[in-house]
Amino acid sequence: MIRCEDLSVSIHGEAILREVSIDIAPGKVTGLVGESGSGKSMSALAIMGLLPRGAEVSGRVMMGDENLLDTPERRMCDIRGNRIGMIFQEPMTALNPVKTIGDQVAETLIVHGKASRAEAREIAAEKLTRVGLPPDRFPLSRFPHELSGGQRQRVAIATAIALSPELLIADEPTTALDVTTQAQILDLLNELVDELGMSLLLITHDLAVVAGMADHVAVMKEGEIVEAGATEPLFRAMEHPYTKRLFAATAHQPERRPLPPEDPILDLTDVVREYPGPRKGVFGRGDPFRAVNAVSFQLHAGESLGLVGESGCGKSTLTRAILGLDPVQGGEIRAFDHRVGPDFPNALRSGIQVVFQDPYASFNPRWRVERLVAEPFHLMPAPPADRRERVAQVLEDVGLNPDAMDRYIHEFSGGQRQRIAIARALITRPDLIVLDEAVSALDVSIRAQILDLISDLQAEHKLSYIFISHDLSVVRAVTDRVMVMKAGEIVEAGVTQTVFDAPQHPYTRQLIAATPRIPEDWQEAKHA
Amino acid sequence: MLRFALTRALSLALSLLVASVVIFAVIEVIPGDPAAFMLGLNASPEAVAALREQMGLDGTLFTRYLAWFGGMLTGDFGVSYTYKVPVAELVAQRLQVSVPLALYALVLSTVIAIPVGVIAAATRGSVGDYGIMGATQLGIAVPNFWFAMLLVLVFAVTLRWFSAGGFPGWDAGLWVGMKALTLPAVALALPQASILARVMRSALIETLGQDYIRTARAKGLTRRQATVRHALRNALIPVLTIIGLQFSFLLAGAIIIENVFYLPGLGRLIFQGITQRDLIVVESLVMLLVFAVILVTFLVDIAYAAADPRLRRKR
Amino acid sequence: MRVPATLIAGAILSTFFLVVALASFIWTPHDVAALNISDKLQAPSATYWLGTDHFGRDTLSMLMVGARTSLAVAIVAVGIGIVIGVPLGLVAAATRGSLLDEIIMRGNDLVFAFPSLVIAILITAVFGPSAVNAILAIGIFNIPVFARVTRGGALSLWTLDYILAARVAGKGKARISIEHVLPNILNLLIVQGTIQFSLGILAEAALSYIGLGAQPPTPSWGRMLSEAQTMIYSAPRLAMWPGLAIVAMVLGLNLMGDGLRDLTDPRLRRERG
Repeated sequence: MIRCEDLSVSIHGEAILREVSIDIAPGKVTGLVGESGSGKSMSALAIMGLLPRGAEVSGRVMMGDENLLDTPERRMCDIRGNRIGMIFQEPMTALNPVKTIGDQVAETLIVHGKASRAEAREIAAEKLTRVGLPPDRFPLSRFPHELSGGQRQRVAIATAIALSPELLIADEPTTALDVTTQAQILDLLNELVDELGMSLLLITHDLAVVAGMADHVAVMKEGEIVEAGATEPLFRAMEHPYTKRLFAATAHQPERRPLPPEDPILDLTDVVREYPGPRKGVFGRGDPFRAVNAVSFQLHAGESLGLVGESGCGKSTLTRAILGLDPVQGGEIRAFDHRVGPDFPNALRSGIQVVFQDPYASFNPRWRVERLVAEPFHLMPAPPADRRERVAQVLEDVGLNPDAMDRYIHEFSGGQRQRIAIARALITRPDLIVLDEAVSALDVSIRAQILDLISDLQAEHKLSYIFISHDLSVVRAVTDRVMVMKAGEIVEAGVTQTVFDAPQHPYTRQLIAATPRIPEDWQEAKHA
Repeated sequence: MLRFALTRALSLALSLLVASVVIFAVIEVIPGDPAAFMLGLNASPEAVAALREQMGLDGTLFTRYLAWFGGMLTGDFGVSYTYKVPVAELVAQRLQVSVPLALYALVLSTVIAIPVGVIAAATRGSVGDYGIMGATQLGIAVPNFWFAMLLVLVFAVTLRWFSAGGFPGWDAGLWVGMKALTLPAVALALPQASILARVMRSALIETLGQDYIRTARAKGLTRRQATVRHALRNALIPVLTIIGLQFSFLLAGAIIIENVFYLPGLGRLIFQGITQRDLIVVESLVMLLVFAVILVTFLVDIAYAAADPRLRRKR
Repeated sequence: MRVPATLIAGAILSTFFLVVALASFIWTPHDVAALNISDKLQAPSATYWLGTDHFGRDTLSMLMVGARTSLAVAIVAVGIGIVIGVPLGLVAAATRGSLLDEIIMRGNDLVFAFPSLVIAILITAVFGPSAVNAILAIGIFNIPVFARVTRGGALSLWTLDYILAARVAGKGKARISIEHVLPNILNLLIVQGTIQFSLGILAEAALSYIGLGAQPPTPSWGRMLSEAQTMIYSAPRLAMWPGLAIVAMVLGLNLMGDGLRDLTDPRLRRERG
C-alpha cells in the first residue's frame, strides 16, 4: 500500500529520522512502536506531507508508483483525507471548538467534492452512527466541548474515514484516554479495518497495544527502525537488544521484600469530599458535586496500597484530602492518631509527603535544586543546621550526584526530575509517601528504573506508599493491597494478587479485561 | 444563550448603578456645595441660593441622587447652567457629530486592520510581515492629536483638500459632513488600527498552531482553506474583545480630536463644561460616556458567546 | 540566548530619554522659565539649537524638561497600578472563585468603564487641572490592568504541582503567592509595565494637550503641542519636535516591551532552540 524507502528527515539540520524503511501492507495493521522522541510521529507526518517548517526530507514514500515526497501540494491535498486519513493523540484539541461535529465530518466530503452539502450531512450522520455516535443521541449539531474525550476521538475517526481511505494513520490514538475507552476505540479501529479493507498504521508507545492489534510491527529508536517483522514471531524472537529491553521494561517487576505488618498509620472512615457548585451570579451557587463518597480504609506502616481508577473517579481529590490540603465534608481522616485537615499540625504533616505526576510542573523553575528539595523543612519549627548535608544525603539516596543541588531544574531530564521529586518527599523522613501517578508520564525504561528506586527506598526507610495510578499493570507490580475506585466510591478492595486474579466487582473485571497485554505464551521463550 | 444574555444584562445594570453612585459622589459630594463651586468665589449669596434651588440641593443626599438618577433614566438630564437649555437637548445635538465620528473611526480601523493582520500572519517572517509590524509599531507610538495636526498641515494647509476644522452640519449634505469628519476619523483610527492589526496577527498565528488545524490539513484542506475555514473564526474571538475595548478609547480619543478639529461634539461639550464649571453638564455627560462603554462591553460579551459555543451553556 | 534586536533598539531609545530627563536637573542650554520676547520664534541656530517659541523660550530646553514631566507622570502612574493592582490580582487568584475574588474582578470591570481620560475629567472638574491629577487619573486606570494580568498569570500557576508541593510543605497562600507565584509572573508584569508606561506617556501628553495635565510654567510635551497648534501656519516647526519626541520615546518603550516578551516567552525560546 505504502512503502517508505530510506526516509530521512532533519529539522534545522538536526537528524530526526535516519533511513527509515517501512512497508504498510494493504488491509493490514502495521504497528510502529517506540519511546518518546524516537521519531514515530515524524514518520507519519512525512507520509502525509505535513512536516513542520524547516524540515528537510529525503528518500521515497511510494504509494503505488507515485512518490509522495515529490507530489505537488495540490495533489497531496487530494490524497489527504481521501486516500490517507489521519487521527491524532489529543482528542480534546483535535477538533475545531466553534464548528459542529456534523460540519466537521461533512467537511471531508465537501472539500474533496465528493458530495453536495446535503448529501455530505447524510453521509456524516451515517459515519457518526458507524463510530458509535448515532444522531438520535448525538445530533450533528453538537459541539466538541459537549462530548467526552473518547467521543471526540470517535468524531475524529469518523472524519478520517468519511471517504473510506486506503490507509488510516492513527498517532497514539488512545494514549490520552482511559483504559476502558481505549479498548473500545481499539475495537472500533479493528472493525473498520475489516469492513473497509483499509490499512492502519498504528503509532504507539505501548507494546501491549501493538501485540493485540498489529499484523506487522516496526520498533523505532532514535529515528531508526531497529527491528521489524510479523508481530508474533517478532515478539517471540526479539532479536534486537533494544526490543528486548523495551519488553523487559514493560513487564518489569521490581523486587519487593514485604515488610511485617504493623499498626495502621492512616485511617479513613466514611470520608466525603464535596466541591461547591459553580458560582451563579454574585451570591448563588449550583448544586455541590460529590467527588469522594464514603471512602473508608486503613493503611499500615510499611505497606504499599494501590488505588486504581479512571480519570475523574476522585483519586486526586482523595489524595488532596489525605494530604490535609482540603477539608472533608463528612467522615474522618486520621493519621498518626490525629485528625487530618487544613489545621493538621505541621510536625505531623511532615510525616506524609507526595510525588506528583508531571515532572515538568512539579518544580518552581526559578529555584535551585537545594532549595526545592529543602522546601518541606518549612514544616519544622526551625530548619536543621545540617540542611545542605541532609539534601545531599537524599539526593544520593535517589541515585543522583549531590552536586545536583546547585543546579536549576531545567538542566534535568524527566526521569531525573522524578528522582528529585522523590528526594523532596524523603527529606522530612516521612512515614507515608503518596505517589500520585508518579511514573505515568515516564517512558517505560525510565519507569522501570523509578519503580526499582521506589521499592528499594521502601525497604531502606520503612516507608508506606499509597500508589495511585490508572495503569493496572504497574499497580499490580508494586503494591500489597489494592482498591478500585469508581465515581467517588471504592468498589472493590483486597490483596493485590487476589483482586487481579479473581476480581469480584463487574467494574474491576471490566478494567482488567480492557487492559491490553502481551499474550503469555509469546513470552515463554525468553524466560526459559 | 438567553440565560447568558440575561445574567450579563443583570451585571450591566449593577455596574451602571455603582458607576452612577461613584460619579454622583465625586461631582456632588466631594466639592461640598456644588452650587457655590460652580459660581466661583465672587458669587452673590442670592445667586448661590437660586442655583441651589434649581439643582434641588436642599434635599438629602439620597433624594438628590434618586432625583438625578431617575432623571437620567427618563431622559431628563437637567438644565445646563451656562447654556440655559436642557442638557438632553445639547446632547442630542452633539451626538450627531460624536457618534458618526466614533463609528467612522471604528469601521475604518477594523476594515484596515483585519486584512493587514491576516496578511502579516499568513506571510509570517517575510519582508512584508516585518514591514507591516514596523509600521504598526510606529502607528501605536504616534499620539492621535499630533497625527491630527500633521494631517491638518498636509491635507488642509498644504494640499487644501480638506478644511482644517469645523463641522458644517448634516444639513449641508451627507457627503460634506462625511468629508469634514474624514481627517478626524483617520486620526482616531490610525493607532487603533495598528493595535488591532497586531492582535489579529498574533491571534491568527496562535490558532494556526492549534491541533485542529493539523486535523483540517489531514482532511485534505489546503493551507488557505484551513486558515479561512478554521483559523479565522477562532482568531476573531480575541479580536472582538479588543474592538469592544477600543470603543471606549475611541470615545475618549474623540474628546481630544474634537478639540483639534473644533468639532461641535460631546467631547467639546464636556470640555466646555469643565472650563465653565458647569457641573450639571459634566456629571450627565460622564454618566453617558460610562453608560456607552458598559453597554458596548455587554454587546461584546453577547457577540463573544455567539462566536464561541463553549460560552453559551456556561454560567 | 540571543538578545532580540528590538530589545536593544528599545533600550537605547529609552535610556537616551532617561538620561536627557536626568540631565535637565543639572543643565539645560537655556532657562525654561525665562521669557525672552525679543528672541521669539527664532529658527534653529548656534544659540538656540532647535529654535525658540512665541515667548522666546528655547525649544531644546523645554523638550528636556518636558521629558522629565512625562517620565515622572508615567513612572508614578505605573507605580500606582503595580502597587495596588498586583496584590489585588494575587489575592483574587489565591482565593479563586470566592466572593472576594468576585468582588475584586467586578470592581476591576467597573474601573474599566471609566477610561483614564474620563477619570481625569471627573477629577479635574472638581479639583482643577494639575500634574498630580493627571497621575491619579492614569494611575487609577492602571490598577485593573495590572490586577487582571496578575490574576490571569497567577491562576495558571496555581494549577501547577509545585504550588501543591508547597502546600504539602505547609506553606500558606500568602507565602506561596510571594515565593512561588510572584517570581514566575514577573516577566509578564515587566512586559505589561513597559506597555502601560508608554501608554502613560501618551495619556499624559493628551491630558496636557487639552489642558487637564501639568500646568504652566512646568513644560510638558503635550502643552508645547497645544501652544504650537495656534501657530501651525506660521511656525509648523514648533509642532514637530515635541511630537517626534513623544513618538520616539513611546516607540522605544514598546520595542523594549516586545523584546522582553520575546526573550521571556518560553514558547519562543523553545523555537529558537
